[in-house]
Amino acid sequence: MKMPNTLSRRTVLRGLGTTVALPVLAAMSETRLLSAAGRENEMPLRMGFFYVPNGMHMPDWTPTKDGTRFELPPTLARLAEHRKSLNVLSGLALDGAKAHGDGGGDHARSVASFLTGAHPRKTNGADIQNGVSVDQATAEQVGDATRFASLELGLEASAQAGNCDSGYSCAYASNMSWRGATNPVAKEIDPAAVFDRLFGGQTEKSTRRARSVREKYRKSVLDFVLEDAKDLHRKLPAVDQRKLDEYLYSVRDVEKRLAGADRLRLSEDGVPDYPRPSGVPRELGQHAELMLDMVALAMQTDSTRILSFMFTNAGSNRSYPEIEVSQGHHSLSHHGKSKEKQANIAKINRFQIDRFSYLLKRLDSILEDNGKTLLDNSMLVYGSGISDGDRHNHDDLPIILAGKAGGRIRTGRHIRYKNGTPLCNLYLWMMKQMGVKERRFGDSTGLLHNLG
Amino acid sequence: MYFRKSVGLKLSCAAFVVAACGVVRADDAKDAAAFRAQLAPLLRTYCYDCHGPGSEVELEKYRTAAEIKKDRGVWVRAMAQVRLGTMPPEDGETLAAETRNQLLTLLDGLVNSVDCVSNPNAGKVALRRLNRAEYRNTVRDLTGVDYEASEGFPGDDVGYGFDNIGDVLSMPPLLIEKYLDAAEVITGEAIYTPPPSRVFEVDQDPSKLIGASKYGAGSGRVTLSSHGTVALECDVPFTATYTVTIAASGDQGGDEPVKMRVDSGRLRKVIEVPKETVEDFELRLRLVRGTRRVEISFINDYYVPKKADRNLHLHHVNLRGVEKRALITADAKIPASHQKLIFVTPGGKVSPDQASAEILGRFASRAFRRPASSQEVERLVELAAQVRADSGRFEEGIQVAIQAVLVSPHFLFKVETPKAVDAQGKMPLVTQYELATRISYFLWSSMPDDELLLLAHRGQLREPARLLDKIARMLRDPRANRFVKNFAGQWLQLRNLDQVRPDARKFDVFNDEIRELMRRETLTFFAGVMRGNLPVTTLLDGQFTYLNEQLAKFYGVAGVQGPAFRRVSLEGTPRGGLLTQASILTVTSDPTRTSPVKRGKWILENLLNTPPPPAPPNVPELEKARLTGTLRERMEQHRANPACAACHNMMDPLGFALENYDAVGLWRDREGGEEIDASGKLPDGTKFRGVGELREMLVTERKDQFTRCLAEKLLIYAIGRGTEYYDKCAVDQIVLEAQQHDYKFAYLIAGIINSDPFQKQGYRE
Repeated sequence: MKMPNTLSRRTVLRGLGTTVALPVLAAMSETRLLSAAGRENEMPLRMGFFYVPNGMHMPDWTPTKDGTRFELPPTLARLAEHRKSLNVLSGLALDGAKAHGDGGGDHARSVASFLTGAHPRKTNGADIQNGVSVDQATAEQVGDATRFASLELGLEASAQAGNCDSGYSCAYASNMSWRGATNPVAKEIDPAAVFDRLFGGQTEKSTRRARSVREKYRKSVLDFVLEDAKDLHRKLPAVDQRKLDEYLYSVRDVEKRLAGADRLRLSEDGVPDYPRPSGVPRELGQHAELMLDMVALAMQTDSTRILSFMFTNAGSNRSYPEIEVSQGHHSLSHHGKSKEKQANIAKINRFQIDRFSYLLKRLDSILEDNGKTLLDNSMLVYGSGISDGDRHNHDDLPIILAGKAGGRIRTGRHIRYKNGTPLCNLYLWMMKQMGVKERRFGDSTGLLHNLG
Repeated sequence: MYFRKSVGLKLSCAAFVVAACGVVRADDAKDAAAFRAQLAPLLRTYCYDCHGPGSEVELEKYRTAAEIKKDRGVWVRAMAQVRLGTMPPEDGETLAAETRNQLLTLLDGLVNSVDCVSNPNAGKVALRRLNRAEYRNTVRDLTGVDYEASEGFPGDDVGYGFDNIGDVLSMPPLLIEKYLDAAEVITGEAIYTPPPSRVFEVDQDPSKLIGASKYGAGSGRVTLSSHGTVALECDVPFTATYTVTIAASGDQGGDEPVKMRVDSGRLRKVIEVPKETVEDFELRLRLVRGTRRVEISFINDYYVPKKADRNLHLHHVNLRGVEKRALITADAKIPASHQKLIFVTPGGKVSPDQASAEILGRFASRAFRRPASSQEVERLVELAAQVRADSGRFEEGIQVAIQAVLVSPHFLFKVETPKAVDAQGKMPLVTQYELATRISYFLWSSMPDDELLLLAHRGQLREPARLLDKIARMLRDPRANRFVKNFAGQWLQLRNLDQVRPDARKFDVFNDEIRELMRRETLTFFAGVMRGNLPVTTLLDGQFTYLNEQLAKFYGVAGVQGPAFRRVSLEGTPRGGLLTQASILTVTSDPTRTSPVKRGKWILENLLNTPPPPAPPNVPELEKARLTGTLRERMEQHRANPACAACHNMMDPLGFALENYDAVGLWRDREGGEEIDASGKLPDGTKFRGVGELREMLVTERKDQFTRCLAEKLLIYAIGRGTEYYDKCAVDQIVLEAQQHDYKFAYLIAGIINSDPFQKQGYRE
């Protein structure tokens, strides 16, 4: 029997009602939205990095007891319901964030180094140099499996003026993902824009034109400019070539995504049951939760397995009137042992970790094909590149590793490492779980032990 | 009051060059002497012990001033260590603050000295991407489309205080996606093409048909076992010919096949359903917009118990229609930009390729800010032809080709072709088109207009009179407001106003509206000084400002009515100049109180170009428990700590002079019951009381330092790179020219544009 060929259309439009007028082809070409369930039986691992600036109020953070029977100090207590799904790691350090003769600028350095383990070159602009970050290094090797090799998200736009941190360009303070030593990867802060990137076919903008037509010409346009760029590349001096290299990489990356448009893993409904956000909420907590919803959606639909997320930029001095902290975060972090300031810092710490807890809860509510939750199949690092904001020290960092990496991590523990153990040892271990074959990362001295 | 077009500006006069030449020769001898007599002894005492022969960083091997200059890199790093206090190390000779300063001054004189006569390096800006503001402006000037969504592009990072620095502007994949999106939307808005036809489609499970519930509605089908009717009813959005597809089968019996009848309006059609397997039956019918009904009836029931049973099964009903396109486009739908971009259409003797070549040749030349090569145009024409070959309309081909232009590196980057230094070591000039681009992005944050491109085309951009005339008109043009917004907004850190959140309980007069008005006051004031071609020091001591009623009320100024900003005299009041404007006073305050330190630091950084080093970690807190008295007294106790004193002795007094203004910039005589003491004394003994005397000092003793600071900030913004030691010659020259013209604003701008770093291309050292 010949049935009207409307199956895919119906799939895509479920939930919108059946009587809806669409431009020709708009729905039919949504092949990317059809399920392309995993080739392997094993569920993929996900890795995510969540950064908060200015250090923590450490007395409210570090448990005094080690092992499984540790107590939860006030900040960590906010994660109580997840304690069985995470480990608290003490004693890890970022050597690259230390001054090493470069003087001030601990904030910019601490975030530049947070995922790279590198010691960024001190410059306000000329010849920026850092290291490759763990998310990008991993994406480089295994990112091909998903539509987006990685996603870079955050809540605070790049600084708009002035000096970000004594002689360091704001590029260091506003980005933590680095694709190459000279290429920071900008983050997206608008949840609606993230939603459109992930599920582009469902928005009004892209239905203005038939998507298949659009994608066909996109490819032509990209081919065209790629040739322009290659030609131009030959003619330019090295300093300009570096810039054009970024352009070439980005164009190819977008092209790859057009080619692999059908790799998005979605449920039978085709579209996640989530309304498109309408922009950036003014209130930070809401903004964070919307954005973390995007994180969960991206992970759930297997749009990417690698994410980085900056709550705010390094040295952020925003105040938190929503929790009645009227002074700036950075100013407060230079607490000079003032009890009041420390109390306020702890308040901000709790406000932020509550959002992380929100994410964990969401991820833990999503059941995957292997019977485990999305959280179980993840490895999420949460922390700061500074320990105490007043001392500006980069050792004994506040770090949480949430998720069980599909069962490879024994969770529910406070693990105290020898102080000064490179944070990069943790990253190297995580990279290995993701299938990256590297013997070293940043300043790693080996795989972090005692996780499994 | 605008300056006259005909004002001539004398460029780098010969007399100056000769004088400078003499100075440089004398400098060499002086440097050699200074090294022998002063620097070498200091280095011997404090450095050579560790940095002697065989050490990792050997400093002792540099025997003359000339040798040091040859190896600047090493000495720049050495200076940084001395400045930070990390060298000499604690276990070495202790270095008194005064001696440290002396050492630094001597080193600076050598390491950062530059020979201004023999072709100083003009520097090389890294390939600059258009930043968000430039992109939006350029697109608007190029296509007439204001693409607001560019505000949502990932932020452009800041280097050297500005967000247009080539080295810092990156190009992540996210941005390419946004550029692609943008190009599609922009071409869609700029060029009209009829929208694709609408499709209306209803896909109905037969069990949901009207009347179906009476019959055996099984899983996904309806069985009509006796005469009867089911119906599909829907709101049809447009009039068209629709296709109804009915998937049906029949239980056959008797001497004729199953018959179904379809009724809709006046249409009536009987269809035979002869098979027991499912078949699709299609029929076409015209439906007029509105609620419409299609009825399906079983009309020849036949039943002989246990022998024959004729039934109709309905499995699926689908209704689908495509709206017919209007063949002629109403003029009202065609945007002005369309006529401008598509100025020829194929027809008659003009082939589609010829028309494309003309359209795309002109567009690409404007977009690339230089004539597009014939090869470039050919490729674009080909791309457009591809779209047509693919059954696209002519306009759609142009749209796609323009999309390619808008994502091309030649559009997104300000490309400058590399040029070689000639045999005499002279720095090569940038091309006329490149110069036009530099000028227009400097003053307009956008592409050159046709006139600039024409001047470039004719090679006239370096004719002083023409150039000066053009600059003058450019500054008066409304597009120069972008310069005010982008340059002044960043230089004065007004953009950071977005982030300040004064404590609402203490400062209930502050709100988002006031925030915007404050910013507007300062930008308008800056624009006023610029367009009036007033001396740049007017920025510091101008006895006027711009207010509207609401902002005037905030300040407590009477007699200003209405929402429009107008010039208001401040004669006889303590206010006047940037330092007394609420925007700046607010952006340099903490949420709950003023911060003399931040204010002092702001002055040092942005007005005097001497940013203090960062505070060391573990600074003791200004806590009431340990330190007592007013804020000033507490800070004075704090400064007793020598680690803090060196910098705070500079910052704090400057900031305290502004203490009569609270954290949102309002006047106060007292704070916490104490009378405000707004006096200050700098380490060099300069004393002042209150903002009046501070201002006076800045525009007299520090006049040249301020001018130099502004010149350097302008230069960074203009060329998109940080300044290096070799730019000193250019800055000297710019400041000198400003001095010769009474520090008038336009001459400072002209000086920047005429300077070597702006006119020439050097190299990275």
